[in-house]
Parts: sequence; structure tokens; C-alpha cells
Amino acid sequence: LDEHTLNDIAIIGAGGYVGSSLVESLVLDGDVSVRAVVRAYRHFARLCRFGSAVTIAVADAEDSVSLIPAIQGASVVINLTTGSPRGIIRSTQAIFEACVRANVRRLIHLSSAVVYGEVSSATVTDDTPPPTKHWMPYATAKAVSEVWLRERLGAAPLEITVLRPGIVWGVRSPHTVDIVKRLLNKTAFLVDRGQGIFNGIYIDNLLASIRACCDHPSGVDGFFNVADAEPVSWREFFAALAIDLDFELDSLPRVPGDRFPWSKNAAVDYVQSLPVANSLYHRFKHSIPPSLKSALRSQLAGPYEYHRFARSYAKKPQVDRETWHLQKVRHKLPTTKFARHFRFSAPVSFREGISKTVSWLSFLGLTKRLPHCVGQPQT
Amino acid sequence: VNWLVDPNAANSRAMQASFRRATIDTDLTSLWTHGSPDLTLVLSPAHLHSTHSIAALEHNSHVLCEKPMATTVADCDQMLAAARRMDRVLAVGMIRRYFPAFASLAHLVHSGELGKIQSFDYREGKQFDWDVTTPAAFQRRFHGGAGVLFDIGPHAIDLLGWLFGTSEVLFYADDALSGIESNVAMELQLDLSRGRVNLSWDSPLSNELRVFGSKAEAVLRLDCFDRLAVSTSSQFTERRTSVSFPADVERPCRVWISPTDYHQAMYCQLIQTVRAIRLHEAPAVDEELGRHCVSVMEKALSIARPLDTPWLSTTRQAAFRGLHWTSTH
Repeated sequence: LDEHTLNDIAIIGAGGYVGSSLVESLVLDGDVSVRAVVRAYRHFARLCRFGSAVTIAVADAEDSVSLIPAIQGASVVINLTTGSPRGIIRSTQAIFEACVRANVRRLIHLSSAVVYGEVSSATVTDDTPPPTKHWMPYATAKAVSEVWLRERLGAAPLEITVLRPGIVWGVRSPHTVDIVKRLLNKTAFLVDRGQGIFNGIYIDNLLASIRACCDHPSGVDGFFNVADAEPVSWREFFAALAIDLDFELDSLPRVPGDRFPWSKNAAVDYVQSLPVANSLYHRFKHSIPPSLKSALRSQLAGPYEYHRFARSYAKKPQVDRETWHLQKVRHKLPTTKFARHFRFSAPVSFREGISKTVSWLSFLGLTKRLPHCVGQPQT
Repeated sequence: VNWLVDPNAANSRAMQASFRRATIDTDLTSLWTHGSPDLTLVLSPAHLHSTHSIAALEHNSHVLCEKPMATTVADCDQMLAAARRMDRVLAVGMIRRYFPAFASLAHLVHSGELGKIQSFDYREGKQFDWDVTTPAAFQRRFHGGAGVLFDIGPHAIDLLGWLFGTSEVLFYADDALSGIESNVAMELQLDLSRGRVNLSWDSPLSNELRVFGSKAEAVLRLDCFDRLAVSTSSQFTERRTSVSFPADVERPCRVWISPTDYHQAMYCQLIQTVRAIRLHEAPAVDEELGRHCVSVMEKALSIARPLDTPWLSTTRQAAFRGLHWTSTH
């Protein structure tokens, strides 16, 4: 172990997708002490398999007083929290304050490439300040949090590294599962023939980026875009999954990119994205009875697809605004600053990431090929 | 409901809003000094089921014990012995026995409508979202009782046993290191069929049971009370199901319910337990079926191996296998 390595790592938001994947990688790599900080006991479900290898604490990420005992003594704190837009800003501030008061040496904050929207200019760099007004409240909150941290960069008694991953895809990614389910149900679509940039980072590449920040001896202050090495279009991303998911890429419905096609689901999305509605939703989402949630969800989802692989493509797919915008990204964000500063190259290639993802999808039963087992159903 | 017992009185007080005449106690032993209830519902954590059930049975109370019946077959046997010695009913709560779609699938399989059953595929999982108030469900116990196997497993094993007869575990793998598992893959051989079971606390599985017969394929949505689909050619036809269960304690029964939600299904389960006590009918899941379910899980743990994780790097796969609980026990 390098003497400069900071080896007591606290992960706030460890019960989420990236958090639990990071915990797994750190435990299996085995040379650091891992503390997982979660908001509620239900998040233990994803972490309990590690047993004594991980210390789990419950704390409110929006309350620095609550956080201090959970991170006291840690050398690095990684902020992987998410939540309501207002909560994202509040937790950014509370985690920073808790780090200062607990004498944490380094804070790694996960922002998002979504702060640059469709990346309409090729001149956007890691240090281009993001716009703080965006149609998506999540993007606005991430951008405002960046601005708040930028004002403290260099002046704070701790090092601050802000990483901007794009779409985190691959094993256990909710985003990938969502895409795959749409492809299986044949309700997926391509905007502008899929020429937009799939601004993604395979989960293991993101975890390796975070680890590089932990292991770097010093001078890590700054904002860094992180992504896969290869530029990949949406068409190429879908094509890589086509064989295992049994769909014909050329049969996917095409959606124009010049004007957003409104639909029932898109209207619901739009209402949810309004600041007031969004705030109310995040405030009351845990008190909505599961039966009502399920009824609303199934109403919006339409008829249930009983075939493992749908036979025909949706003539008029339900287009949601977020996917539509993501498929309209024009440029790959540059990652040379991160590569140079941390001497980093993404360890997993796009092809390898697809292969690993397909093996996981097969475990979930979402591919044509199911993993070998005795008495396996015919597919 | 006369008594609500929970070590945390706040939990009982919350329930007291629905049962205003009930007395609250934090200690089970003091309950028996006030006499014996006719029926005790054992809803405590799984590792306490046998202790609490045996205490109730030995105080002359009938018992409806939540699934799983216990965490070991040895505990089940002690519960069985106590029920027989005291001549009391010991029923096991398996709420899904009262879901109309599940009962309809059992009818389809047993009536031969699907033809000769060839195999099945059971997948149930999503990110765990039960708003638990303690971490008790996530702590490893030597004899099991926690983890996704003991949480969702009893539902799967009971349903498959109901449909296809008694089970034998051919293969079991999970992802627990020194803690408890959140993902499970199993293969079961049953009297009528053979197939796979996948359970997860962190991955979005299909939440379906697919039954492949020589004449037709059936799909049961595990999160749905009253819908079932059958495919006889290339097309699935969705059927709305209605299966009525007794809703009174009369013989012959005059009131029937086809449950459409959890409350109604729970009510029917309770009524059937009371009918078992008063009218000597069989509960949906008796102590033998409850014991069988635990024996399947116990056997599974005895042949456990690390889950296959080809999506991890080679180095991490080796570390995972080395740290898996079966390697360190």
C-alpha cells in the first residue's frame, strides 16, 4: 500500500447503486477500511452481505451534526447521495461542513455530466462553469451544488474533488435495466437515428476513477469529467445489446430531434419536473400507499407484456423528456484533464463492459440465453 | 385482540389505534400470568418464532405463526411436538395462499390444463424498500433466519410445493460474504417439475413465475392478486381470476370473499385458522408444510456455494469466492 494512500473511506449514500457497487469493489480489493453511511435501515439490505467487512452507520446527509459521528476519523469522504433537488443542495453543504468539522482530509463529490445538458458546444471543458438553469430540476441542483463547492475550492481546510460522470451504465445500473426493458418490450426508440452521443461511463470505470482520487497523494482539488474511453453513439450502444436482447435495430421507431413529441407519460414527467410538484413528490413519496403507487404505475405503463420478448414494435412509443434529451447530446465531454492529472485510463473497454453487462442481464433472466442450469426452461 | 406484546412499546401503541381494548405489554412471559389467549399470532423475527410459538402452545393457546415457521428443522420439530402434546392448532402464515391468481394457477396445474409440466422459472426481486425500524433483519445468525432466502424464500418454496409437490434442492448459491445474502439462485426438483428460483433484495427481477407445460405456458405475476396469463399457441391470454375463501366461521360457510388486497387475504387466513380451531378444518399451511419449507432452506444452506459472478473482474471473482461465508466457515 502506498504510504500516501488515504485508506479510511466513508461513503455517504452507500445504499444506492454506485454506493453499493463501490463498497463491493473496495471490500473485494481489500486494502482499505470502509464505512457505509445510509439514510435508513432499509438500505442495509444491499450492504448486509459484506458483514464485518463494512461498518454501516445511519445518518441524515442533510444534517452535518448527524453526519459527524459517522465520518469522524475517515481520511476520505465520498458523497454519492441523491434525492430531491433541494436535498441535493442541502446535503452537499451539510457533507462539506461535516467534513470540515471532522477534520476529513479529502472530499470526493459526485456531480453529473447532465449539468451541461446536451453539450451543444465542442468547447466545453472540465472548468467551464455549468449553467444553473435547466429544465430538469436534478440538473439544476447538481449545477448549483457545483457552484457552491467551487466557491470553497482552495480556501477550505480540505481537498475537494468533483467528478462529473455521464450515464453510469452496466451491472446493476437502474438506467441500463430501464433501457433493456424498453428494448425487450420493443418500446425503445432512437432520436435522430441514434446519432447522439451516449455520454456514458461503465460502472467499473467510475469506481476506478473514484479509487484513483482516493489513492492520489495530493493536489486533487478541482472539477473533472470522467467517462469511458471510446466515443459511442446511442445507435452503437443499442446495437451492442441487440443480439442478446433479440431485437432488430433497424426496426426501432425513430423520433425526430427537432421537436419534443408530447404524450401522456411525457406530460406526467413534465408535471413531476416542476419545482413545486417535484418537491411535493419527494416529500410524500414514502407516504403514498404502495397499492396506489402500483395502480398509477400500471395505468401509465399500459398493458403488461407477458412474452419474455415482445413480438412487435410500438408504432408510437412513449417518449420521455429525459431520454429524448440524453439522446440529443452532441459532443463527448473531454476527459483528458482527469487522465493527465491522475494518470488514469479507463480499465474496462466498451466491448468488455457490454459483455459483463450481458452476463449480469442473463442472471436477471433478461437475455435470450439464460445461465446454464439443470431443468432450464426452453427459451 | 386482547394483547399486543412487543419489546418496543411504541410499536404496540401504534397498533393499539386499531385495537383499542388491547392491553400493551413489553414482556411475553407476563402475558401468561393473565391467562391464555385462544389464539396467539406470532409475528416476531424469524429466529424467535419457535420460542414464542412453543410458549404459546404450552400455555394452551392455538398459534398462527408468520412464515418461516422457524429457522431450523430441529426448532420446527419442537414446535410440532408441542402442538401435538397440547392438542393445539399450529398454522403457518402464508398469505399468498389467499391470492386468487395463485389459487387459480394451482387449479390449472392440478387439472392438467397446462399438460405435463416440464419446468418452471421463478424470479422475485427488487430493491428492498420495506421501511424497517431496526437492522435486526440484516444481521447474520448462525442458523439462518435472515437474508433474502428466509424473507422471500418461504413464499417461493411454499407456492412451488403447492403447485408441484415436495421439493428437493439440487443447487443453491448466494452472494453473502461474512454477512447475509441479498441474491440467491436455486434449482429445485419437485414431484411434478424441475426449475430455477432467483431471489433478490437489490436487483429488479421479473417478479413472475413461468410454468412450462406440454400444452400451454402460464405466467403468474407475483405482485398481482387477480391476473394470470396462459399461452396455448403463440399468444398469451390474460385471465381475471376470482377464487372465494370462507369469511365466516359457520358450517356451512355463508360468507365468501375473493380477496383483492392484502387486508382481505390476511382476513381470510385468520378466518381459516379459526375454522381449523373451531370446525377442525385444515389450515392452508399446517405445521408439516411449514416444516417442509424450512427443511428446503436448511438443505439449501448445507450445499451453499458462492454465486457465479462473471461480471466481476477475475481478481474480484477470486476474492469473492475466498471471502464467501462457505469458505470461511
